[in-house]
Amino acid sequence: MSTKNQKTSVDPVIVVALGVAFVAIAFALAMFQSNPSAGVTSDSGAMWQMVAAFITGVTTGGLSCLAVQGGLLASSLAHQVERDYAEQAAQTRAQRKKSKANPHINVALPIFLFLATKLGAYTLLGALLGLLGSYLTLSPMMRGALMFAIGIFMVGNALRMFNVHPIFRYFSIEPPKFITRYIRKTAKGADTATPIFLGLLTIFIPCGVTQAMMATALGTGSAFMGAALMFAFTLGTSPVFFIVAYLTTELGAKLEKLFMRFVAAVVLILGFVTLDGGLNVLGSPLSFQNLTRDMFPPSRAATSPRVSVPVGELLLQVENGGYFPTTLKAPADKALTLNLVTNQTYSCARDFVIPVLNYYEALPETGTVKVNIPAQPKGSRLFFTCSMGMYTGQIVFE
Amino acid sequence: MIKKTFKIPNMTCSACAMKLEALEDVLDGVQEINASYHKLEMVIEYDESKLTEEQIVAAVKKKGYQAMLA
Repeated sequence: MSTKNQKTSVDPVIVVALGVAFVAIAFALAMFQSNPSAGVTSDSGAMWQMVAAFITGVTTGGLSCLAVQGGLLASSLAHQVERDYAEQAAQTRAQRKKSKANPHINVALPIFLFLATKLGAYTLLGALLGLLGSYLTLSPMMRGALMFAIGIFMVGNALRMFNVHPIFRYFSIEPPKFITRYIRKTAKGADTATPIFLGLLTIFIPCGVTQAMMATALGTGSAFMGAALMFAFTLGTSPVFFIVAYLTTELGAKLEKLFMRFVAAVVLILGFVTLDGGLNVLGSPLSFQNLTRDMFPPSRAATSPRVSVPVGELLLQVENGGYFPTTLKAPADKALTLNLVTNQTYSCARDFVIPVLNYYEALPETGTVKVNIPAQPKGSRLFFTCSMGMYTGQIVFE
Repeated sequence: MIKKTFKIPNMTCSACAMKLEALEDVLDGVQEINASYHKLEMVIEYDESKLTEEQIVAAVKKKGYQAMLA
């Protein structure tokens, strides 16, 4: 009989999977907001990174990952579907009628298992990368150099996606042949363990956006932050991956072509932001913020009450939203004291860096730290920044 | 056995290379396929008595790519 009049039933596994995803997001957001004074989770810079990672996952990561890893899942699912058909063919008519109520459950479950394992695997990978990064980021200068390299990698990958020049193909990491061959052979399995194992193996075939995110996890220099970043990103990719993979893997290929330029544009922007952050931490006058600072007046003022400092000393208010004022003026050829004042400051602005002086200080949440600045020649500028290169400012000597 | 290299100009990422290497499982007479996104090429080792160039090109086309003998 015709099936045109049949109502499309919503697979309960999808409802459960999406429910779990949304509960996880809500839990993560609640965790970030409920405890504004607790270490790393309260850091607005870290929060911004988590949100950006999640949005990147939702908007571009899902489709990009689907293009690279969707084939594996499809291959595994094909065997599952074949098995289901074989089982259905062996069923009696009464059994078939009974099972019609939920015809897709055997397809949805492997996707869910695949994505759940992938989420766990990438979170662990993020922790390992962050841990590795903690050994690489011994100094702000090294962190700046690492951010710069990551930015170059991301921009190169974006230009590869735009197909600007054949040389950019080398920004894509090709997994070793024995790994791809092993994964392909594993994908032929038809048992429940296969999608779980494949989900685990996806860490060896990351898509371009995932590679960029892995590089960012390395740059966090913290196992916790690296894990949280990759968790947020992979969680973001999951709904798109799940829905599109569930509907049809063919759609993935079409969407890949349709959104490839969009994905490239997002990676390019993220790459430039990272590159700019790296330049800031290196103290370069060529960063976007340092080049354009004089063109745009500060858009906001300090919110904490102004404190008095001894005559002749400089005051810099370090707040959650950055440094105020962003430009300080000081007499040339004269050593001076800079007072860094925090007042319930929890953001990465607390990690204060003056790259040229090789000065780094983790400021207290509330308090004052004095910095001795040696005499500087007239007309010179001394740039300062947070350790992530997000918040910046300068001292102009006249 | 014979080894031939095909240029695949429209590969877009390393996943394309994986897709092409999966032809090992579907083409009869193939010994080994090594595809590279960096080089935009596919090296295939196969039994001439079981497989022809035309069949290889057709199989690659079915995967969504163009293949030209290098």
